[in-house]
Amino acid sequence: MASSSSTARVRRQLPTSPWLFAAPGLLVVGVFILYPFVSTVVNAFTDRRTLIPGTFVGLANFRELLHDDMFWIGLRNSTLYVLGVVPALVLLPLLLALLVQKNIPGITFFRSAFYTPVVASIVVVGLIWVWLLDERGLVNSLLESIGVDRVGFLSDQWLLLLSAMAVTVWKGLGYYMIIYLAALANVPRELHEAASVDGAGAVRRFLTVTVPAVRSTMVLVAALSSVAAFKVFSEVYLMAGPDGGPAGEDTTLVMLVQRTGTGLTGRVGYASAISVVVFVVTVALMLLVLRADRKEDA
Amino acid sequence: MRISRRALAAAATVAVLLPLSACGSGSDGSGSTDASGKVEGDITFQTWNLRANFKSYFEGVIADFEKKYPDTHVKWVDQPAEGYADKISADAAGGTLPDVVNVSPDLVAPLAKAGLALDLDKSAAQYKKEYLDGAWASHQIPGMTGTYAFPWYLNTGPLFYNKSLFKEAGLDASKPPTTYDELFADALQLAKKSDGKVATLANVPTVEDFGRYGVELMNKEGTAFAFNDAKGVELLTKYKELYDAKALDPQALTATPESSGKKFLTEAVAMNPGSALDLGNFKKQAPNLYKNIGITDQITSTGKVNMYVMGVMVNSRTKHTPASVAFAHFVTDAQNQMSFAKKVAIFPSTAGSLDDPYFTKEDGTDETRVRIAAAKSLKNAVNYTPVLFSEQMKTALRNEVAKALQGKESPKTALDNAVKACDTLLKQQG
Repeated sequence: MASSSSTARVRRQLPTSPWLFAAPGLLVVGVFILYPFVSTVVNAFTDRRTLIPGTFVGLANFRELLHDDMFWIGLRNSTLYVLGVVPALVLLPLLLALLVQKNIPGITFFRSAFYTPVVASIVVVGLIWVWLLDERGLVNSLLESIGVDRVGFLSDQWLLLLSAMAVTVWKGLGYYMIIYLAALANVPRELHEAASVDGAGAVRRFLTVTVPAVRSTMVLVAALSSVAAFKVFSEVYLMAGPDGGPAGEDTTLVMLVQRTGTGLTGRVGYASAISVVVFVVTVALMLLVLRADRKEDA
Repeated sequence: MRISRRALAAAATVAVLLPLSACGSGSDGSGSTDASGKVEGDITFQTWNLRANFKSYFEGVIADFEKKYPDTHVKWVDQPAEGYADKISADAAGGTLPDVVNVSPDLVAPLAKAGLALDLDKSAAQYKKEYLDGAWASHQIPGMTGTYAFPWYLNTGPLFYNKSLFKEAGLDASKPPTTYDELFADALQLAKKSDGKVATLANVPTVEDFGRYGVELMNKEGTAFAFNDAKGVELLTKYKELYDAKALDPQALTATPESSGKKFLTEAVAMNPGSALDLGNFKKQAPNLYKNIGITDQITSTGKVNMYVMGVMVNSRTKHTPASVAFAHFVTDAQNQMSFAKKVAIFPSTAGSLDDPYFTKEDGTDETRVRIAAAKSLKNAVNYTPVLFSEQMKTALRNEVAKALQGKESPKTALDNAVKACDTLLKQQG
């Protein structure tokens, strides 16, 4: 008995050395990821405020969410953002990558130019677009000069959301283009040549050779961009203002977290409950994309 | 060496339970309300975006204080204007709030409720008589007894208008509007004559606008908001007319004070509130506008203009209460406030300071004219923004006002909803 118990104990023991090597990394993950995550989940079940420690309130915050108009507006806008931005960010960078893939003189300039928005500060980018789309900005001045009425890009709730989506797509093009360029480099040239010999045109070659070859990259781009789009904050905040556009109609979920949970009177518990919802939807989005990919494989 | 699964499980449990320790009662801290001891020790003083322009002034004040009290050392930190409330809340929640903090009344309220602001009626009552009564009262919180910050500088300002835009609309530029009815009539004419291209106002009405219009903002007990009365509805209805006629800028629904200031600079709007500080800005950034600038008084139905109050709060958890109180008083005393006022267009909150010739004698310049007019109006000015009106409440009001202006709700419904939302937030504040 004693012998089998000590064997079991030995089996339960884990070697220490690997843990010591992993300790610095684990510490960083624990302090900066695990602890804040667990803390957010715990806070979601309390009525904690910035300066007032909370008490356990069960599911009260989640029940309140169901009756909060602003939460539903945030959920609608974040979902619309995914639906508007993801298809564009899956397709357009691929087309751009196909354009700049060719080794022709001066192409490096275009590759760098397309990548520039990625490295530009989002605040700077946001302000530039606000100036461009302002009621008296460059775009409206151009429209007026050709006899078209000024467009309220920054005062109409839907145009504001669309404008923010356009900025997200414009800023993300270069990043995903680089990912596609890496994937395209692995597509065997012979496949294109064989398709050409068989009489396939450019569009056909794109659909039957390029797309299948980079399909897993497209899934990756879809997953990354859908998570980023659902969590959008900066573009909408900068263009629609801290209130989230007229009457807050352009508020996204992450903006709502920021607005509700920060400041001296911030409702940390309620904002944490919204964060938990954002987390759950984000994970669901990832699973959805990956599941779609697996179905295709099958 | 081995690590058991039990140890790993314990670590995971700690990770889960540690955040729970944040729930429950907070610490009482180690501060004392007794400010009568020896003035000594190292203290930290935090200002709100003042280092860039007034570094030498504050270094001088600190040096004078340290000379007066040789056993003290003051460390000065300055925080940018953007996100100042967030910085304070992070410090307050983390227990790292500086000993002496530059605050506004709305920032003091939650800090006082959390027990982080020293009650000066208990610790520094002897200084009360040095300040204007209204200024001293500006850091009192409805529902609480006590005063939670020394009053520092006050500010108010005139209404600037663009004379050339007034002339182009066929208005008499030498007779700017002085009542709300005149303002609304002029605004509609400006919009009509410019075919909707020139708006007169760039901001939706805020809580202080409702106050200036004569709307009762809160009940007398300070326990509920009341700006949905007939007068409030009347003001919002007028703004709706302006919005429909483009006399209120179409981008007003998403405007910030900075963006509307820029609109005035680019002559897209005809009127904008400001302060004496702005004149220098106009001169430098928009010389064409400066040539046509008109200056008139704030429009009110109450006869009392709006003023902004800055304060200096003492952290109730400070380990050096006598030094912190002494320094907060030193920064805000009549002599230092007066010398600060001569460096920048602000006004002292100390009794009698506004009677100084600096605030009463004309020298023929626009700057002095604005300063004298502002100092005169400050004698019966009011800080219309209720101390308990939080950022979340401001957002709730702006959103409902926007719905009314867009025609999605009637002004009455919008204000009823805003009051309901603000009352809920007020109750949640505790």
